[in-house]
Amino acid sequence: MCFTGVVASGEGAGPPEADGTLPAIAVVLQFHGSPSGGFRVSVPLKLARAVGVAFLGREETEVSDSQAEEVVCELANMICGSILSRQSKATFQITHPEPAPPEQDVSFESAGARCWFDLGDGILTVSLELQQTL
Amino acid sequence: MELHILIVDDSPAMRSFVRRVLEVSGLEVGLCLEAGNGEEALRLLEDNWVDAVLTDINMPQMDGEELLRRMSEHEMLRSIPVLVVSTDRTEGRIQNMLTLGAMGYVTKPFAAETLREELEHSLGVVHRTE
Repeated sequence: MCFTGVVASGEGAGPPEADGTLPAIAVVLQFHGSPSGGFRVSVPLKLARAVGVAFLGREETEVSDSQAEEVVCELANMICGSILSRQSKATFQITHPEPAPPEQDVSFESAGARCWFDLGDGILTVSLELQQTL
Repeated sequence: MELHILIVDDSPAMRSFVRRVLEVSGLEVGLCLEAGNGEEALRLLEDNWVDAVLTDINMPQMDGEELLRRMSEHEMLRSIPVLVVSTDRTEGRIQNMLTLGAMGYVTKPFAAETLREELEHSLGVVHRTE
């Protein structure tokens, strides 16, 4: 589909040198099944546009910010679906990914995980939250 | 013979990607329709005949499973091959969709060659541009 290399990766909020002031795109979705929870992907706009160019097969000038956001939404859908498929044999439902404020600090620390990946053009951050079952 | 294809996915980016894959695949695609969910797909199918439907599963309003069920219950639509394109790679889901009548199942992410091969298999013929 589109290929990119991972320069570095880790768990937690991200490397110290990650610039949190750069324009960014974040999307969230919910998944229902066994387990249920939320999923979030955040990328700098520069990286989102680079991924959009590769995914859509267009020139950089032909990819708008909204189209880059759509690609990030699909990226979140694919990553989340892939994770859930590998972790559980049960079927699940994923909601349509929705844009989220990049500065929103979702409390995914309580029951989930956060990982980051340096793709060269920026840091891709993935957060997964599992709903607690009683 | 040119193929008429209907792409059903709530992601505009994925619809664009699938369309691009079809265009460069070597398959002779004449008409490529798009729908954002199962309801839109059924409305398009009322007025347009297609040779194959490529559908996602998780979609708002009407998901791919319900779309497949409705098509299989329709006298005319049941003969149209349906290829599922989804992030869900659980065995239960795959078997369920195949039982409902899907001719093939491609999991995202996928290589362009994979989609082309599955589509050719679903169609049962090979259409190439010379």
